[in-house]
Amino acid sequence: MGRKILTAILATAILLPFLFFGMLSVGQAWFYPSVLPQRFTLANWQELLAGQSELQVSLLLSVILGLGVAILSTVAGFVISREIARAKYKNRWLLLAYWPFVLSPVVLAILVQRFFLLTGMSGEVIGVLLGQLILAFPFAVIFFQSFWSHEVLQLEQQSQTLGATAVYTLQKVLLPLARPLLLICFFQTFLISWFEYGLTQFIGVGKVKTLPILVFKYVNEANSSHAALASLLIMLPPALLLWTNKKFIFRGI
Amino acid sequence: MLTIENLHKTYHTHTVLHQVTLELPLGQVLAVLGRSGCGKTTLLKTVAGLLVPDAGSINWAGASMEAAPPRNREMVYLSQEPLLFPHLSVFENIAYGLRVRKEAEVQAKVERMLQELELQEHAQKKPAQLSGGQRQRVAFGRAIIFLPRVLLLDEPFASLDAQTRASMQQLFLRLARKYSITALFVTHDVKEALLIGDRFAYMAAGKLRIYTSGEAFMEDPTTGVRDELAFWNSINHKITNLP
Repeated sequence: MGRKILTAILATAILLPFLFFGMLSVGQAWFYPSVLPQRFTLANWQELLAGQSELQVSLLLSVILGLGVAILSTVAGFVISREIARAKYKNRWLLLAYWPFVLSPVVLAILVQRFFLLTGMSGEVIGVLLGQLILAFPFAVIFFQSFWSHEVLQLEQQSQTLGATAVYTLQKVLLPLARPLLLICFFQTFLISWFEYGLTQFIGVGKVKTLPILVFKYVNEANSSHAALASLLIMLPPALLLWTNKKFIFRGI
Repeated sequence: MLTIENLHKTYHTHTVLHQVTLELPLGQVLAVLGRSGCGKTTLLKTVAGLLVPDAGSINWAGASMEAAPPRNREMVYLSQEPLLFPHLSVFENIAYGLRVRKEAEVQAKVERMLQELELQEHAQKKPAQLSGGQRQRVAFGRAIIFLPRVLLLDEPFASLDAQTRASMQQLFLRLARKYSITALFVTHDVKEALLIGDRFAYMAAGKLRIYTSGEAFMEDPTTGVRDELAFWNSINHKITNLP
């Protein structure tokens, strides 16, 4: 009984924002003390699905940036964390990986902005991609440290003495062993990019309009229905993640 | 023949291998006795190509192994832990070396090896489902199935209980003779060294001493064989004098 109540509370807490933003995205003239909007329209959704709307472009841009950041940081993080695990001064290199998080993303954005201005990448998608990698890549490096244990490094050596090349060892031993962690890292770094605001705003200088940038823009414009729709789109990937992992998430309750 | 000459290795200022020299003919097992930290593991890993020596040479049939990466040396290192690939079945673990070499008749060869190891009914199990002794048998089968030049065994049975250890020693002897295995067998157990070795060596503080015969190995007080024999004689004496 207690478990059911807890599950219901948790499900409501997750679903309620969707319901609220969903209502806000289709409602018009919703004023206090009305419980529901006075009119309903699918105009915002039609705008998203048809034509070259700002939201549609922004959604596509966010997906491309998210996938780019996730793929690059997961692959690079996996490779570099292996080198760090085998390095003589492992902790020194790891300290470097913690650097962006110690500084805080906002301070980091101010520090790196000049570099992007000088290289002409300010206000460009490539600049934002690199900016987001400053956070996602070290995260991946730290994340994969737990994988490169002494045992895994020994398994790698074992494979070599059995005659396997580095590529064969990667395909047949390392990647299958790391598969769950690779998936988690991919999703996590995708979400880092998906929700990123500070660095994107600083380096993108308002020209690279990802979904979080657009939400703040609409909020500032008091455009609540567009802000709600953009918010719904932002919440979609983590919701999908929750849905695909619902078995594990709700099991422990 | 495996020939090692003046192998030298230091970590910072600590010398781990001190001018190690040995010759190991085909099909012979050199039992290397030594306590923990004497440099045995470093010696085996250097021969396998997993560590780079500071000086000295490793040759196989007269050819230098210096530039050969571990995968081309055909010298398999087996540690105390079986180090099986946890995501692969027993069958696939044993087949690993054959698949790497794209050999034919993998199925038949692995099945024969499973029979030798008495593991037929465990072929589809994962390593986590096996006992320590079974895991070590799989590791051993995986190493010898493609007939490598040299087996480098680093106290392979040290983590097993006495009974399993004894059966593994018998299995090793049987297969070593059947497949004419050339091996460097490192152990800290005097009895195991005497049982397994065709030739004998003692390692201390990075220095390797090769004995000309089993008798010479047993006579040398530093090896501890005499102490071991004295211990068992005293036990035997006690038992025979029991009322």
